Amino acid sequence: MASVDVVDVRKAYGSQEVIHGVSIGIKDGEFVILVGPSGCGKSTLLRMIAGLEPITSGDIRIGEKVVNDLPPKDRDIAMVFQSYALYPHKTVAENMGFALKMRHAPKAEIESRVRRAAEILDLVPYLSRYPRQLSGGQRQRVAMGRAIVRDPKVFLFDEPLSNLDAKLRVQMRAEIKELHQRLKTTTVYVTHDQVEAMTMADRIVVMHDGIVEQSGSPLELYDRPNNIFVAGFIGSPAMNLLKGKIKLNGKASFVTEDGIDLPLTSAPQGSDGRPAIYGIRPEHFALGGEAVKAEVSVLEPTGSETQVFAKVGAQKIVGVFRERISAKPGEALPMAPDPKLVHLFDKETGLRLN
Amino acid sequence: MSDTQRITVRVLVYGALIIWTFVSLFPIYWTLTTSFKTAVNVTQGHLIPWVDFIPDWRGWRSLGLSPDTIGQVSTVREEFLKRFANSVIASLGAAALAVVIGSLAAYGLSRFDYKFGWMRNKDISFFFLSQLILPPVVLAMPFLVLYKELALLDTRIGLILVYTLMVLPIVIWIMRDQFDTIPIELEQAALVDGCSVWGAFLRIVVPIALPGMVAAFILSVILCWNEYFFAALLTSTNAKTLPVMVASQTGSQGISWWSMAALSTAAIAPLVVIGVFLERYIVKGLTAGAVK
Ligand SMILES: Nc1ncnc2c1ncn2[C@@H]1O[C@H](COP(=O)(O)OP(=O)(O)OP(=O)(O)O)[C@@H](O)[C@H]1O
Ligand SMILES: [Mg+2]
Repeated sequence: MASVDVVDVRKAYGSQEVIHGVSIGIKDGEFVILVGPSGCGKSTLLRMIAGLEPITSGDIRIGEKVVNDLPPKDRDIAMVFQSYALYPHKTVAENMGFALKMRHAPKAEIESRVRRAAEILDLVPYLSRYPRQLSGGQRQRVAMGRAIVRDPKVFLFDEPLSNLDAKLRVQMRAEIKELHQRLKTTTVYVTHDQVEAMTMADRIVVMHDGIVEQSGSPLELYDRPNNIFVAGFIGSPAMNLLKGKIKLNGKASFVTEDGIDLPLTSAPQGSDGRPAIYGIRPEHFALGGEAVKAEVSVLEPTGSETQVFAKVGAQKIVGVFRERISAKPGEALPMAPDPKLVHLFDKETGLRLN
Repeated sequence: MSDTQRITVRVLVYGALIIWTFVSLFPIYWTLTTSFKTAVNVTQGHLIPWVDFIPDWRGWRSLGLSPDTIGQVSTVREEFLKRFANSVIASLGAAALAVVIGSLAAYGLSRFDYKFGWMRNKDISFFFLSQLILPPVVLAMPFLVLYKELALLDTRIGLILVYTLMVLPIVIWIMRDQFDTIPIELEQAALVDGCSVWGAFLRIVVPIALPGMVAAFILSVILCWNEYFFAALLTSTNAKTLPVMVASQTGSQGISWWSMAALSTAAIAPLVVIGVFLERYIVKGLTAGAVK
C-alpha cells in the first residue's frame, strides 16, 4: 500500500503535448476515479503511473519514492488494460497466475489465489480455456482477475467494466468496492460511467484536454462544480446551462437571451449586466409556483420519474420530476428552478461565480 | 445455377486442377523413374516402368545405394552421404542462425524507432529487403577474396554464414510482419506483471510469434538447401553440397542420366517431406495473424 503523487507531469508525443502539467495527490488507500471525455489523456496518465510511458517532465512518486525512472516491474502495481491484453497462448488460469509466477510464488499459493479470484469473478468454469474461447465480458473479467490475484501497492484500472452487461456491471461494481474495503489498496480507476464514478470513488478527478479541471469527492463535484465543463460533465442527465446576463438592481436575477427572468439568491458585487451561464440540474426544478413557463416538447415517463424535454425561449432544458406529468407537447409547463441550487458561471472564463 | 451448370463448372475446375497437378508432378515423376532407367530407355524416351521399360538399379548402383551394393564399401556412397550431411548442416545451421538474428532485428524494427542517417524504420526494412535485388554474381569476387583471407573457403561455417546472410532479409520481413500483429499492450501487461524487457520478449512475444518463426525457418531451410551458386563458388572437396554434386554429374563422357536422376531424387526427397508434412505450418505461420 502506498500513496501516489503526480506532480506537474507533462507528456508530449514528439512536438505535441497531450498532458499539460497534471498534479494529483492520492492518499494511501484512496479510491480515485479519473473521468473525462475520450482522448483527454486518462489512459496516458495511468500508463505513466505504471511506468509504461516515459514522462516528459514532472515527478511521479509511489509511496514517497520518485519512480520516474523505475521500470514497471519494480513499481509493484497491477493494471487492467482498456484492451484487456490477455496472453493469447495462456489459459485463463495461467493468465491470472502469471504475475505471481514471475514473483516466484509457491505453486499451491498461486493456485489458491487464482481460484479465489475466479470465484469472485464467476470464472471458475473457464479456468482452463484460452482467451479466444471467451466472450468480451469474460475476457474483461479475466483481465480484472489478473490484477486482483496480486497484492500490489497500487491498482490501476482502465475502464475495467466497460464491456459488461448492466447486471454484471452492478455486481462487479459491488465486488470491486468490497475488495477495496477489504484490502484498502490505493486505486486509480478510469471510467466513462457516471454511476460508477459517483458510487465508487472516494474522490473524482475530472480531466479535459490534458489538464485537471477539478478534483473532489463525488458530492462536492455534484454540488459545487468549479466551472462549466465540470458542471456539464458530472450528473446525468447533464445540468441545464442557459445563456444570458446577470441583472442586479436591488434584487439579483438572471435574464436569458430571450429576456426571460430566472431567480437567483445572490450575485457577485458589481456584476450587473455581466454575460453569464445559468446552471440548474434537471432534478432541481419544482412544478408550479412562481415558475418559468417552459414549452414541453417531449415527455419520457420511466415509471419512477418523468423526464421533460422543454424549451425556455429558444434554449432547450431538461427536467426530471418524481411526479407523473400529463402535459402534452406544445403545452406550457410551470417549472420553477430552486434558487438555492443554482450554479452561476462566467461566460468568458467558464469559472463559477456564486 | 442449375445442377448441370454446377456440374459443368466442377468438371472444368477439377479438370484444370488435374492438368496442373500433372504439369507440376511430372518432372518429379520423370526424375524418379529415370533413376531406374538404362541409357537406351532415356534416349528413346520411355516413360512407364514395366510397360515400356524394365526398371534397373543402375542409377542407384552408381551411388552405392542399390540393394546389391548397399552392404559393400562404396566411395561414391560415402561421397554422397558427405554431401548430404553438408547440405543438412549448412541449411539447418543457416536457417537457425537467420531466425535468431532475424527475429531480434525484426523485433527492434517493429517496436523501437530507429534513426540511421536519414533512414527510419521503413527505410531500414526496405534496405534489408533490397539486398535480394542484387544478383549474387556481383558478390562473387569480393566473397572469394574475403573468404580466402578469413580462411573460410571450403568450410561449412563459411557456407552457413553466407547462407544466413542470404536468407536474413526474408526472415526479417516475415518476422517483422508477425511482431507488428502482436499488440504492444501484451508486452506492457507482462512488464507490469513483473517481466523484464527480455522476459516479456521470450515469455510472451516469442511463443505468440512461433508459427511465423517456424514458417521462416522452413522457408530458409528450403532456400539454403537449393542454393547452388555460392556453394559452387566457395566450396570444393570438403564442404561441397548436394546441388553442386548433382550438377557435376555432367562429366566429360556425357551426362550420366541415371546417376544424376538418382542423386536428384535423393536431393529432392527432404523437400518433398517438408512439402507434405510441414506445408501447413508455413501457410499457418504466414497467413494467420499472431493474435486472435
Ligand atoms: N502513441 C501516441 N502518439 C501520439 N499521440 C498519442 C499516443 N497515444 C495517445 N495519444 C494522444 O494522447 C491523447 C490522450 O490519449 P488517451 O489514450 O490517454 O485518451 P483517453 O482519455 O484514455 O481516451 P479514451 O477515453 O478514449 O480511452 C489523445 O489525444 C491521443 O490521440
Ligand atoms: Mg483510454
